[in-house]
Amino acid sequence: MQRTRIVPILYIAPAIILMALFVYYPLVRNIVNGFYEWNPFTLDRSFVSVDHYVRLFKDPVFYTVLKNNLLYAIISVILQVGLGLVIAAILEDKIFRKFSTAFRTTYFLPVLISMTVIGILFSFIYNPEVGLLNSFLKTIGLEEWTRGWLGDPNTSIYSVIAVSQWQSIGYCVMLYVLAVQKIPSDLYEAATIDGAGKIRAFFSITVPQVKEMTFVLLIYTVTGSFLVFSEVYVLTQGGPSNSSQVFSTYLYQKAFIDNEPGYASSIANVILGITLIFYFVQNKFLKTGEE
Amino acid sequence: MKRWVNIAIAIVFVMSLLIGCTSKDSSSEASKDGKTTITFFYRWPNEPYKSYFKSVIEEYEKENKNIKIEEVTALNDDYKQKANVILGSKNPPDVFFSWAGEYGQKFIRDGVALDLTKYYEDDTEWSSQLIESQVEFFKQNDKVYGVPLFTDSKVFVYNKEVFDKLGLKAPTTWSEFITVLDTIKKSGTTPLLLGNKAPWAAAHYVTALNQRMVPKAVLDKDHSYNQAAFTDPGYVQALEKLNELRPYMNENPNASAHDETRNLFLGGKAAVIFMETLELTFLKDASFKWDSFKVPTIEGAKGDQEGLIGAPEGFMVHSKSKHPDEAVKFLKFMMNKANGERLIKETGLASVVKGAVNSNSATEAEVKAMDMIIDSGNMAIWTDSALDTRIFKPYGDGVQALLGGTMTPEEVMKAVQDAAKQVKK
Repeated sequence: MQRTRIVPILYIAPAIILMALFVYYPLVRNIVNGFYEWNPFTLDRSFVSVDHYVRLFKDPVFYTVLKNNLLYAIISVILQVGLGLVIAAILEDKIFRKFSTAFRTTYFLPVLISMTVIGILFSFIYNPEVGLLNSFLKTIGLEEWTRGWLGDPNTSIYSVIAVSQWQSIGYCVMLYVLAVQKIPSDLYEAATIDGAGKIRAFFSITVPQVKEMTFVLLIYTVTGSFLVFSEVYVLTQGGPSNSSQVFSTYLYQKAFIDNEPGYASSIANVILGITLIFYFVQNKFLKTGEE
Repeated sequence: MKRWVNIAIAIVFVMSLLIGCTSKDSSSEASKDGKTTITFFYRWPNEPYKSYFKSVIEEYEKENKNIKIEEVTALNDDYKQKANVILGSKNPPDVFFSWAGEYGQKFIRDGVALDLTKYYEDDTEWSSQLIESQVEFFKQNDKVYGVPLFTDSKVFVYNKEVFDKLGLKAPTTWSEFITVLDTIKKSGTTPLLLGNKAPWAAAHYVTALNQRMVPKAVLDKDHSYNQAAFTDPGYVQALEKLNELRPYMNENPNASAHDETRNLFLGGKAAVIFMETLELTFLKDASFKWDSFKVPTIEGAKGDQEGLIGAPEGFMVHSKSKHPDEAVKFLKFMMNKANGERLIKETGLASVVKGAVNSNSATEAEVKAMDMIIDSGNMAIWTDSALDTRIFKPYGDGVQALLGGTMTPEEVMKAVQDAAKQVKK
């Protein structure tokens, strides 16, 4: 009997050891590190208690970062989850069925391009002197709208968020298309007989029927927004003057450029706390994972 | 039987994972073939620098059959990140790259860099051929901790055709400079280019203006570790001078990267750009005539009016290196005259070996820049590498905000003073 119990444990052992070694152990170490201060070369660690957290909550950049991440999450939810569903519904409409494959490919293509490539591509588009966007605005007579999109503290974060939306909306559309295809067509037929228009059918049939997918995408976009790094790093590096800084780039800045690993650890712990809160809230109220 | 096979496979899996995680001993012990391995960590995985270093290493290995040089490279910012990790590890590289200024001083303070004074004194034939003023940057308390490889300064480069057309001459004073910029602006050409997406670009303006506006003794004190205060009114005045240049710059300096603006200048889209001397090599592609002038003197200012800005970059030997003698020998080889000549010729980096930058190995402009550096008594090191990053961060960000019009010079300096206080504590 005993032998049969050992074998399954051995099979899951690699996964558990890997998780413990590369996820849980660093996690615990990082929580401890948040209470220390040291320098990467000397490794003389001194215990500073909650000093890092006190400093963090007084740090004005912390609030910029929090605001930027929240903006990222809100805009991503509206555009990727909200607009994504609308696009998916339109693509699956009878009129558009013919072209929907071509459109789906078009929307999905950016998902497959590496973020670094997209970043370089968009820094050309946003370039104030020779960029596509400013030239376009000038051509259509909106010269007063031109600006240094990534270099203006008022627009930098929005410019970065816009790139993200452009890239990720195709992913949501793709998943929604799958969900919409699963809706039995007799529901729509019945609704048509009852005299419901397309908009009514969208809100009364499509939206409730893809509920499960919506929950999954909500978690995906919200957690994604809090962990976003490459978009910001490639396009602005958090600048100008921290106006487009997000949690992970600020953490990177503190850990690897400013040589303050202790402070960076405390930032990482705050990110962990925030994403955990999101996880628990969503878990409690949305009750996902039934399907 | 089958069960035992399963168990065995599972054990093998787990063991292989664990073995994969144990650290490999890659220290610079003599390897199997009896060769001494020296690890060389530097910041040029890109061309044309990479092939230069590769060929120097190859030649050295050919001359010294019992030594093997192992390279580790990472580019600029990645270098800083990688350095933080591997210089503090158990098996650090023997020779590593360092910028001058606080970046290198930190290695000296923390005991990472080996004291090389002995080697300098023992082989004066070699050490005397290095430009002394550049070796100074790697000293602390009269001891030398590094070997400079090349030096770099910054000058204003101008499009001679634009200047000639408008009948302008290179300015030497601030008021002349403003008049020149004004004339160019009225003619419809962008007078001055700045690409400040990464804040070091404007920080170089700040370095130059601080040198002109702030007395040298004060500046030196503010640039030394744990002494920074930044309370001199000259700092605010320097930023006000930068603000005077703002109307003549391209519209969104914070939105362009420095190399983008350099390309605009090369495309003849502007009249003046502030450029590092190591970038002069890019101007070989220019389709127009160009020349350079020093940062103008500022009438009535309290700082040094003749000084240059800039610093060398070079190498250090790790204090934990097991083969310091071999490591230094390799550096000496790299710093001989032939290799210095090749350095400027192949990469445009101005070697600090005396006479290496000459009419055979370099362009006229590069020789002129080198003479200027040798003649200059005072070279103020870049603000971004002179300061603790925790002080430079608000400084650089503040100047970005200043150029964006959201902060005043007083507000920027207040933020810098606060950061300086916090670091001191």
